[in-house]
Amino acid sequence: MQRITEIVLKLRKRLASGTGNVPSAAGVRAPEFFLTLDHPADDEVQVSIAGEISMNSAGDVRTQLLRIVQPHGIRNLIIDLEKVEYFDSSGAAILTELGEMCREMGRSLELKNVPARIQSFMDLVDAQRLKTGAILEPTRPPNLLVQIGGGLLDVGRNGRDIITFIGATIIALAQDLAHPRKLKWDSLWNIVERSGSDAVPIVTILSFLMGAILAFQSAIQLRKFGANLFVADLVSLSICLEMGPLLTALIVAGRSGAAYAAQIGTMQVNEEVDALRVMAIDPIRYLVSPRVLAVACVTPCLTLVADLMGVLGGCLVAAFSLDLTPVAYFNQVNKVLEITDVTKGLAKSFVFGLEIATIGCLRGFQVRGGAESVGSATTSAVVTGIFILTVTDAVFAVLYYYFPVVWNM
Amino acid sequence: MNVAANDNNGKDPIIRVENLAAGYGDEIVFTDVSFHVNRGEVLAILGRSGCGKTTLFKALIGLLEPKRGEVVIEGDKVLPVAEGGSQQIMRKIGVLFQSGALFSSMTVAENVALPFRQYTALPEKTIEHLVLLKLNEVGLAGYEQFLPAELSGGMQKRAALARAMALDPKILFFDEPSAGLDPVTSAGLDRTILKINETLGTTMVIITHELPSIFAIAHRIIMLDSDEKRIIAEGKPQELKAKSTDPRVRDFFNRAPAEEANRL
Repeated sequence: MQRITEIVLKLRKRLASGTGNVPSAAGVRAPEFFLTLDHPADDEVQVSIAGEISMNSAGDVRTQLLRIVQPHGIRNLIIDLEKVEYFDSSGAAILTELGEMCREMGRSLELKNVPARIQSFMDLVDAQRLKTGAILEPTRPPNLLVQIGGGLLDVGRNGRDIITFIGATIIALAQDLAHPRKLKWDSLWNIVERSGSDAVPIVTILSFLMGAILAFQSAIQLRKFGANLFVADLVSLSICLEMGPLLTALIVAGRSGAAYAAQIGTMQVNEEVDALRVMAIDPIRYLVSPRVLAVACVTPCLTLVADLMGVLGGCLVAAFSLDLTPVAYFNQVNKVLEITDVTKGLAKSFVFGLEIATIGCLRGFQVRGGAESVGSATTSAVVTGIFILTVTDAVFAVLYYYFPVVWNM
Repeated sequence: MNVAANDNNGKDPIIRVENLAAGYGDEIVFTDVSFHVNRGEVLAILGRSGCGKTTLFKALIGLLEPKRGEVVIEGDKVLPVAEGGSQQIMRKIGVLFQSGALFSSMTVAENVALPFRQYTALPEKTIEHLVLLKLNEVGLAGYEQFLPAELSGGMQKRAALARAMALDPKILFFDEPSAGLDPVTSAGLDRTILKINETLGTTMVIITHELPSIFAIAHRIIMLDSDEKRIIAEGKPQELKAKSTDPRVRDFFNRAPAEEANRL
């Protein structure tokens, strides 16, 4: 019988060199354990563990034990736990893992001299009945074909939800417009304030800067042709026809669209929408209709503000770097900008507003579950909103071009 | 205004459930559930977690469309709320959801006023008085102007109860009313429920698994099981506790762990 204490010496050295151990100056005692190896027979190894097997030391114990089990030619592994002073769940986990490994390698594992408290601990854990398996690894995504199929089904379901929702919203709006006295005007004004007047500062700043940037960038080119004056045309027409409505709609989508998705989504999670339904209150009429009405009316107003500030921004740049006087600038704007240009933009804004509010509320109603779901609904409200806005803008551009009747709105 | 209808002999059923089967998607939670609730009775629906209590609850009030069978309340069939529901039924019932489901953007008073504004043409002053009365009944006098987030869990439940009781409904549905409440508050809620049942004769259907509450307030219980997916016991709680031969029922009422859960 050989008494191999190399392991013990190695461990002592490692502990002394301080790898992974907290220095005692911090007041924390370094966990100590000692493994003693024995070979009672040629194909048997007996490991006596002394000391502490705790969350702090378990990693090291495991490494050492695994190293002992690896070599070939070992049939039986015996672990003697008599001198173990401290044992917690990490110890149970290590022994369970060791047992599985031994089973796989066709070896036997035996626990010897198990103190009573450790035995009852192992009974509590009921290691025999645990199923093995990689439970902490993230689930692998399904293969590509399944993903494509699932994606298409989702798109289909999404499309159907959107159409149903739009139908319900139109009915609710029609009912509200037919009975204006039944509308809750307080909450309507509240929504108008939050989505409209609270947005004026950001709309002002953004469109002012946009007008200034447009003027600034185009000035570089226009100067080459001595066409400085036409910066007024460029800024006023782009802002009133395209940039003003679109930029305003983007801001409203980010502010109000996201807010409605989050509000209604949270109400879904808190069963508030269910409570409405059970009280025979149509949640669409109660929640969606006022929001859609408010935002549809508010967005053109904000666009008007944006138009004005954009033109002013252009004027500022024109005055400072293009040698134009404000008077000349505004005269040119007056010459080239027609009222229909502005109203075309406002008509677009109205439709944008309808879309933003509808999509925001739709995403809110689609929430099923907790915070994760509310978060993705909010994101989706903004992204889908932006997408639909841009498509609508393109449709309007085509409409205005090919149908002069609409031109004269 | 009597309360004596606590006998299980079919006397004056106000709710009738016939061969109900319900679930979500392809998953069936229970099949072939049939029972009735008598007028003025307090019925408790019990079972271990996952047995389908909440599913049954939703099917009873129309939040979930059953796969088979029907629920009839005072002769009217319960229709799913997603398709508009049944107006006559919704006027007669009040629902207390597990978390209260108060509308967080409105004060307690406005929450309680909502059913009045929705179903009646009462003048504002009358509604104000009614709200004060209802909140006083549940012990929340003085808290009318508070927002739900400013109240404790127990107070939120009581406010939600006041809202559910606003129109003096004939039937009240409770989804785990004692969930998350300390024993004192829970006992107080039980006493309020009993008082309402005795003075107004309101029929009550309560989903719960709180044994003290069940023994304190339930006239009759039905018990669901997740493995059998049907009702496995029906009757008075004290009788079932003492005389039932079904081990699952005995375990439940005697608060004993089931065989396979002996380890923890």
